Amino acid sequence: MATLIRRRLLCTSAKAGKKWAVKEVTKANFSEAVEEFKDDLAGSDFVAVSLQKTGSFSAGWHRALPFDTNDTAYLKAKYAAERFQVLQFAACPFSLRASKLTAHPYNFILFPRDELKVGMPSYSFSVQTSHLTYMAQEGFDFNACIYDGISYLSKAQESAAKVRIGNPTPGNYVVDSSLTHTVADTIFIERIKSRVKHWKNACKKSGSRTDDALLSSLRKLVMGTEIYGSRPCMNIDVCSERQVQLALEMLKEFSDELVPLIIPANGGGTQSVRVVLTSSKEDKDLFERELQNVVEEQNKRVRGFREVIDLISASQKPVVSHNSLNDFTFIHSKFLSPLPANVDEFTGSLSLVFPHILDINHLMKNIGPLRKVTNRPAAISYLNNHYFAPIDLETLPQENEGKIHRHNVVKMCYLFAKLCTILKIPENAKLSNNHLLAPALDVYTNISNPFSDIPQESINEDIRIWRNNMRKISCDNLVFLWGFRSGLTAGMLKSMLHKSHDVFSEDFDVRLVDKSCAIVVFWQPGLSGTFLDVVSDEAICGSLREMVSEGLRATSYRTYKRVCKLGLWEADLAESLDKALEDPDYSMEADSTTNGREILWSTDSMINFDDL
Amino acid sequence: MNTHRPVRALSRALSRALSQSTSSSAAQPSFPLKNVTKSNFEPVLVELRRHVAAADFVAVDLEMSGVTSAPWRDSLEFDRSDVSYLKVKDSAEKFAVLQFGVCPFRWDSSKKSFIAHPHNFYVFPRQELPVESPTYEFLCQTTSIDFLAKYQFDFNMCIHEGISYLSRGQENEALRRFHLAYEDGSKLKEVRDAPLVKMADTLFTERMKNTFTEWRDGLFRNKNGGFQFQGISNDRQQHLETIFFKMRPALSLNGFTSHQLKLIQLVIRRHFQDLSYVQVNGENSCQQQLVVHTDSKDDRESLMKEVKDEHLRQAETKVQAAVGFRHVIDLLSSEKKLIVGHNCFLDIAHIYSKFVGPLPSTAEEFVSSVNKCFPHILDTKVLLNANIGLQQRMKKSQTSLSSAFASLCPQISLGAKSTDLAFQLCVKVEVQVDDLRSSNWNSGAKHEAGYDAFMTGCVFAQACSHLGIDFEACLPSEKLSHNEKLQKHINLLFLSWSKGDVIDLTTGNKNAMSVGSKNNKKRYLQISYEKIALIWGFSSKLKAREIRECISKVFGLTSVVSIYHLDETAVFVQFNKEKLVSEFLSLKDTLERKDGPASVLHPLAGLLEGGNTRAADYETYKEICSSPNAKVLFADQAEAFGIQWKTKLVEAKASLCLGCESSGEKNALNPASKSDEKSERKNMENVQSDSSTACVSNYKIIDSLIASRGDKIRTNL
Repeated sequence: MATLIRRRLLCTSAKAGKKWAVKEVTKANFSEAVEEFKDDLAGSDFVAVSLQKTGSFSAGWHRALPFDTNDTAYLKAKYAAERFQVLQFAACPFSLRASKLTAHPYNFILFPRDELKVGMPSYSFSVQTSHLTYMAQEGFDFNACIYDGISYLSKAQESAAKVRIGNPTPGNYVVDSSLTHTVADTIFIERIKSRVKHWKNACKKSGSRTDDALLSSLRKLVMGTEIYGSRPCMNIDVCSERQVQLALEMLKEFSDELVPLIIPANGGGTQSVRVVLTSSKEDKDLFERELQNVVEEQNKRVRGFREVIDLISASQKPVVSHNSLNDFTFIHSKFLSPLPANVDEFTGSLSLVFPHILDINHLMKNIGPLRKVTNRPAAISYLNNHYFAPIDLETLPQENEGKIHRHNVVKMCYLFAKLCTILKIPENAKLSNNHLLAPALDVYTNISNPFSDIPQESINEDIRIWRNNMRKISCDNLVFLWGFRSGLTAGMLKSMLHKSHDVFSEDFDVRLVDKSCAIVVFWQPGLSGTFLDVVSDEAICGSLREMVSEGLRATSYRTYKRVCKLGLWEADLAESLDKALEDPDYSMEADSTTNGREILWSTDSMINFDDL
Repeated sequence: MNTHRPVRALSRALSRALSQSTSSSAAQPSFPLKNVTKSNFEPVLVELRRHVAAADFVAVDLEMSGVTSAPWRDSLEFDRSDVSYLKVKDSAEKFAVLQFGVCPFRWDSSKKSFIAHPHNFYVFPRQELPVESPTYEFLCQTTSIDFLAKYQFDFNMCIHEGISYLSRGQENEALRRFHLAYEDGSKLKEVRDAPLVKMADTLFTERMKNTFTEWRDGLFRNKNGGFQFQGISNDRQQHLETIFFKMRPALSLNGFTSHQLKLIQLVIRRHFQDLSYVQVNGENSCQQQLVVHTDSKDDRESLMKEVKDEHLRQAETKVQAAVGFRHVIDLLSSEKKLIVGHNCFLDIAHIYSKFVGPLPSTAEEFVSSVNKCFPHILDTKVLLNANIGLQQRMKKSQTSLSSAFASLCPQISLGAKSTDLAFQLCVKVEVQVDDLRSSNWNSGAKHEAGYDAFMTGCVFAQACSHLGIDFEACLPSEKLSHNEKLQKHINLLFLSWSKGDVIDLTTGNKNAMSVGSKNNKKRYLQISYEKIALIWGFSSKLKAREIRECISKVFGLTSVVSIYHLDETAVFVQFNKEKLVSEFLSLKDTLERKDGPASVLHPLAGLLEGGNTRAADYETYKEICSSPNAKVLFADQAEAFGIQWKTKLVEAKASLCLGCESSGEKNALNPASKSDEKSERKNMENVQSDSSTACVSNYKIIDSLIASRGDKIRTNL
């Protein structure tokens, strides 16, 4: 059966040729591509996204590990998202109807160019040579990326940039009832009113006759008249935001002819209110439209690639991702705003922009054996071999095509479609009505907790096998150990500990986190506390005493959380734990967070040392 | 230090573009240059050894992935020399070298011209060996990368084909690991004795045992005559092939799975005293498993030793190959040639941190280590600024590389063939790439390290000739680096160009450069750091003017000499008296302690608004500069550095004493500073006599300082 499906796929791919070829988008073709993307998005049910980054984690323990809580996993993802850069954003609107997958893949090539010369979107970024080498092998064109990559600013940066560029914005008078006029206000208003009247009349008069150059320049000097575009204008200097409001209020009187513009001062605030004289009602409308266009044009330029993010967000379509925590921390920090301090705020802020996020990893966990699989080709081949779920796709790119990274996102759609079919996610739920969709897929939408047990790394193509005995365990039962002799294996450490003290007579487990640090799980509640007390007690004796005198240190899970919170990302976890303990505030801080204190413990799931 | 490289190179490129348009030499060939990547590195290195050995001096230039990791780490006029070094150190540690230009120059007395061999090495810190190191991650400054792109830098070439390298430390570590791995023979002991569980394993083991017995018996038979090895290998098992390994009969195992190989290993160990299982690296680095027959226990041991030695040798070759580009640095160091660079303190720091070892924590230690590696370094920027004669020659044009090149070497930069008398005085330079010599090329060579190195060398050669150095007389009998006319310029580097600090590599002495003495266009600020307070974390609305007003209300109109924005979150406040720093800090501390209405109404309240305002002395700035984090905003950096306190109080007395000492020291080093101090004192008198006007002038200075920070960097090139 599986071979049959595969053959069919091969046939169709041969037939369809380049029909669904991935569209590479750079600066040059961005505006057309966005228009097309908009249409494709409107006609699709889902949109898949996948990011190509310049790095992931610098040391083994910096990636999400099985013993991480949601919060520590988030902090790790945040650390990576803040330092590394996205060079390619693949987005693929797709629909799945009656096992027919229609996909429109786009690869947006990005570069964080400082278009406005204000140090945005990122002053600098880190790269890992291993990632660049990998991308190079996959045929990524760095020259195209750096020369022609699309610029962008995040939402937060865009508003900051608008202030810095200092473009005039149309002044909108907000009626403020609390605004009571003082004497000074009245004088100010009267003064500018007479000036404006005077100026307006003068302009109208001069419009009818032609001045000689000297006279007109003299008039300019006297009246403060300037030209804005083709229309005369004058500036009213203001000293405060209050005066801006007063000026706008006064100008309402002339609203059929005069258009107020607010000229921002360098570095925030308002410098003056500029009044532009239009010749008629039509001319005024025309001018306001012109202004609108200018603003939009400007926004487009500043926003750059973020337009795509805005489109996806506005469409409210479910977003399908493979590494949702990693990818969406990047998306949030690069295109929305700086990442918040904890995972709850993050999910809150993210769900305002992307209400439905579907994590393929999470879907895969519903198919028992796929729990073990973290890479896409293996997952696809597993599903092909074990399930009959034909998906009709015009082109499924073949592995041997070389530039695999281009097709990642299409394969993701394919995998998602298969999973949907196998998991019998109802057809109607996938139709474009989002309200229907939400409850049906909600089971899988759980972004707040899709990451607790699988460290994902798409670059590593190895398969990790878990034994199926995951157990829930409270973080209180975990203890970090370091300062032991180098070169010890977990087994050796376990047997040493076993002999060292009574607390180890009960069932416990030891795993190495990295070469410098191990984690101990006490299956019996309360023993971890006993052990920590013993280690810090002066009456410590026996071989444990010897180990401690050789430098063995132990600390609770709380210290680990603190390491992540303070961002003590040293290369060795031991070093970071030491630093966290040195911190003078450590003892004072109350352990306030109680949620997310349980993790899934699998007995076979520690770091694979080959990956380090 | 090479502060604003992008800007420097921009002007360089502009001038080049200009010269290109004027010369319009379309027919001329483009600048000949040897581009070196990992594919041609080996042969080029062999050639380069020859060229460097014969060279009179070697010019170098580097292109990096960035210069400053955060705006507040930019080189400022406010930098004390130790802070300047920390900034350079941070830059060299965080950014990568992407291109390395090496250009040996040799005087050809028969042609009365220099022969230059410009090389342009693409460098990329790819990880070739499994040695953990933080160098496999580096920072890119967006503007620098964008700048390189404007000059058509080939990033694909760099990332795909760039030459990787190991520093000395990494090389030793890699060798140590390999030795460790083979010392305890762990490669061969891997397989533990394990009971055979599966039926298939037992059967396979049994069959292999028979095969080996048969093969060995065949060998014995062969000893008594006859040649019948292949009988076994061909008809029974295609996997096995009889060969000779180190003069011994051996069976090569092909096409077995790793599990099967493990089983074979077990069989050999359990049942055959005279057979050994060996793993060797064959051609194309593919591994080859062998079963070798040995005559005796001794023979077996000697075989194992031979195999081990071979493994080690192979590992060493691998490490040698991975050393990669560092071979070039080792070559420059061992030849002890005169190294010529342009404003090259940062370049040298990069070279040291990438290829020699971790950068020391102080400038003094650093320069003494550099001096051991590279005993003769000459900075053309120092040379051009130190010599009035040269400045006159350059008609006071700027000392950026491109303008120096254009004004000193017009014949080369324009590629003009003129009989003009002025050109007769010019030093002739020919370029040789591979075996092709040329003296005629298009000047519009694109911006790259190899060409920059060439320009630097030309500027140096021309400057030497203006200094009256006779290449004919002094070469090769006398080394250029020992020439007495050059002596006073050798081993002096700009620690900070924006501040004009020069450091002597041989002594570690730091000096303010008296730039061209008669040339008044550049004046350096004389700053006493004890008078500076650092404030950060204040409300983002506050501007320098408001901060000044706040403080002046408390300490008097003239108390604040200047306010300098480090970035939008931090300022330096320069007081007119040292004790004001400690008074300010303690006042701030007191105000924050009592939370009454008095403190709200206090003039400083505006500054303290928000409750996150921190303040400290200049020393704290240095400490924060030395921290490795790379936060863009200073306030964030201070937080990441772990500063918890709000105010760092300083003992006024202690620092006063310290201040006396250090200023005395400075005077001893630099007589020029005395006059500056005098003028400063005068200024202060002015302030006292006529506070309003002095105030205005001070304001002016500060405002222009703030406003023209960018311009200054540009004009100071």
